[in-house]
Amino acid sequence: MRRFMADQVVPAGRLRRKPPARENPVIPRTANEKAGQILTGWRFNLLGVLFFLAGAMIIIQLVRLQFSPERSEFVSQGDQYSRTLHIFYPPRGDIYDRWGRLLAGSTLVYEVGAQVDNVDNSDTISFALSKVLSAHPEYDYPEYSDEVYSAIHRAEIAGTAYVQLADFVTPEELVQLQDWARNYSNLPDVDYGDAGRPSLDGLVYRPRLQRYYPEDSLGANILGFVNREGTGLFGVEAEFNDLLAGAPQSVWMSLDPYQVAEIPQLKSGSDLVLTIDREIQAAAEEVLKNALDDSGAEGGVILVMDPNTGEMLAIASTPRLNPNEYWNYGNVFTDSTPYNRAVSQDYEPGSVFKVLTMAAALDCGAVTPDTEFVDTGSIQIGGITIRNWDWGAWGPQNMQGCMAHSLNVCLTWIATQIGAGDFYKYMQNFGFGRTSGVDLAGEAPGRLKLPGDTDWFEAELGTNSFGQGIAVTPIQMVMAISSVANGRGEMMMPHVMRSMVRDGYQFTPTPQIIGKPISAETAQTLTEMLSNSLESESSDALVEGYRVAGKTGTAEIATPTGYSTSATNASFVGWGPVRDPQFLVYVWLEKPQSSPWGSIVAAPVFADMVERLVVLMDIPPDDVIQNMADD
Amino acid sequence: MENIQKLTQAYEQAPWRKQMYMIGVILLILVSAAIVAGIYLNVTARAAAVGREIQEMQVRVYGYHYLSSQAGEGIVPMEELEQRIANLTNQLAMITSYQVMQERVQDLNLEPIDGEHIIYMKVPGYIDRQTTSLAPPPQPVVVNASGIDPQFRESLFEWVAEQVQKTTRYISEARP
Repeated sequence: MRRFMADQVVPAGRLRRKPPARENPVIPRTANEKAGQILTGWRFNLLGVLFFLAGAMIIIQLVRLQFSPERSEFVSQGDQYSRTLHIFYPPRGDIYDRWGRLLAGSTLVYEVGAQVDNVDNSDTISFALSKVLSAHPEYDYPEYSDEVYSAIHRAEIAGTAYVQLADFVTPEELVQLQDWARNYSNLPDVDYGDAGRPSLDGLVYRPRLQRYYPEDSLGANILGFVNREGTGLFGVEAEFNDLLAGAPQSVWMSLDPYQVAEIPQLKSGSDLVLTIDREIQAAAEEVLKNALDDSGAEGGVILVMDPNTGEMLAIASTPRLNPNEYWNYGNVFTDSTPYNRAVSQDYEPGSVFKVLTMAAALDCGAVTPDTEFVDTGSIQIGGITIRNWDWGAWGPQNMQGCMAHSLNVCLTWIATQIGAGDFYKYMQNFGFGRTSGVDLAGEAPGRLKLPGDTDWFEAELGTNSFGQGIAVTPIQMVMAISSVANGRGEMMMPHVMRSMVRDGYQFTPTPQIIGKPISAETAQTLTEMLSNSLESESSDALVEGYRVAGKTGTAEIATPTGYSTSATNASFVGWGPVRDPQFLVYVWLEKPQSSPWGSIVAAPVFADMVERLVVLMDIPPDDVIQNMADD
Repeated sequence: MENIQKLTQAYEQAPWRKQMYMIGVILLILVSAAIVAGIYLNVTARAAAVGREIQEMQVRVYGYHYLSSQAGEGIVPMEELEQRIANLTNQLAMITSYQVMQERVQDLNLEPIDGEHIIYMKVPGYIDRQTTSLAPPPQPVVVNASGIDPQFRESLFEWVAEQVQKTTRYISEARP
């Protein structure tokens, strides 16, 4: 065993170490080796300079870009690839009738498209879609399959991620597509040749809501419709489009998972509760249809209003469109026929206008119910001769007689007694010549020529007094006559929106009084006169058990060559029960064929409507009310 | 001087120890950095996974479903539930629509009643049918009168009276 002396003890590490050389040995180097060392150092230096220059150039370029004019463009390009814009549309508000029955809601439909990168077999997709959607009217054409196929291929070439292939796909059609997809996925793994394995991979769908009208064409003229772009057209849908649609929100969604943004809480569109009563609306539409069938009229309108509040209970107008098939609009409304005649079509109302002339005369004191007028059968005014509807002379008449026999000569004389200034002031107070403000889109203002207008002549005073030479809409007529019908002289604004549901609250605006063109006394006196007139004439407008007031109207229709002798506007306006008026009904039939007279074609329509109305509105007959009051 | 050099040599770390220390320090730094990086990666990976999950959920809200998956499976976002509710409400309205109800009336051999067959009677306490109420009415807005600036409450007469009083006071004060 080897032994060590104490002074020989050294750390273990040193045992492996070589003893240091006393002198560095001089190693002779060749000339080539020296040259190589010099060359290597030069190359390293050159490389270092190059790298330094490259780095410096990058830094300079970075700094330059920060201050270059293209900076904003680069930033926007960067944003474009780092985030996507999504527009969130809130669900459209529903529309209900006054009892809460849904008139306009939403139904589920699907958009179907292809995520192009995931498509395995575009032939299968085009085949499946063309077969399943063949029942869908929009995709029922032979070239649809080819279109789907080429759309996918175009998207593949263009590098588009997604391509839409179909829209408004029904839930039933979607289930069929899912069945097809399931069947294809269960196919055995065999060689399918050049066609490839059938597959619907890459086909995607997205649910969304589409406007739907469960009552189909019922009340369509009031509701309007919503087009593919989600914009309300006509009626309530157009008038309250902003309220119903809510506010869409645009949000930039980052593709970076670290910057996930919250989807905004969308505020749904407001729900609307209309004043319309579905049952009364259906009754009005049925009565109008029967009236058109019976009279052969080209078109017509029936309006039912609560004269106390101005609430429209029904607005029936022809023609009607099923708003679920709004694409048929062009076929239904031909020759510039308005969507809703009640608000959009002005016409000369004829003798129903005499109600307002008489109201003005009674109110200003020009006449009283007992004022006598001797009808000679004609009267001169402004250089023209006015005659009665039958060209007859009716002799001495009081004001009730003038109204009962609808004497043009008498009403012309009354207008002269009022005077042009006061007459037109009353007519303006009744709201003619301007829109009524009804909350339906597309209202026409009508035309009331005034003294001083270039096309006003003195004769207009005479013709206007019995509703000729003046253009009004049916809604203007019911608004004006509401002041008489409610017995207060207050003219109520016609409206169809009863309340609005927004942010969890139901807002119900107070009915608006447009003005008070006549006194309550005048309104009651005139109602009594008109009720007596109907009873004295045994009018077809009378309803058994109920005392009603009203007036017929027959107006000649103006043509470019003068007034037509063969075509008329037949109308009737009435209200009741006289003791406590709860409804105001206006009937207008355009160009009836069976008879030109309003008393023959329009008055029975009023009676038919009222007979249904008193049942639907739970209005007891007058004698029942009297007996209950006596008990 | 030689003593100092000897002393320094005596306490000087051996070169191999210095190398070990350097290696140790470098390794410590590397390991620490690796640990921090690992934790960072773990956290960010989890955050990214959750972010992607959220994005997928959002895609379901505004985005697309694959045809191969069932419409009703998995978590259904609220928006889609609202869509389904709207759809069901619409279906309910369709099966209770006027036309359908009229068909049912005919199938049941019923006919609408006319006024002649209605018997009216007095029912004490009967409340007439009320129009629909889909939501409560808004709470009345209570305006705190004291919060309104006095300028907006005073009438013209009060303002004139105050101005007169001010002027009178000014004149009386100005009088010697």
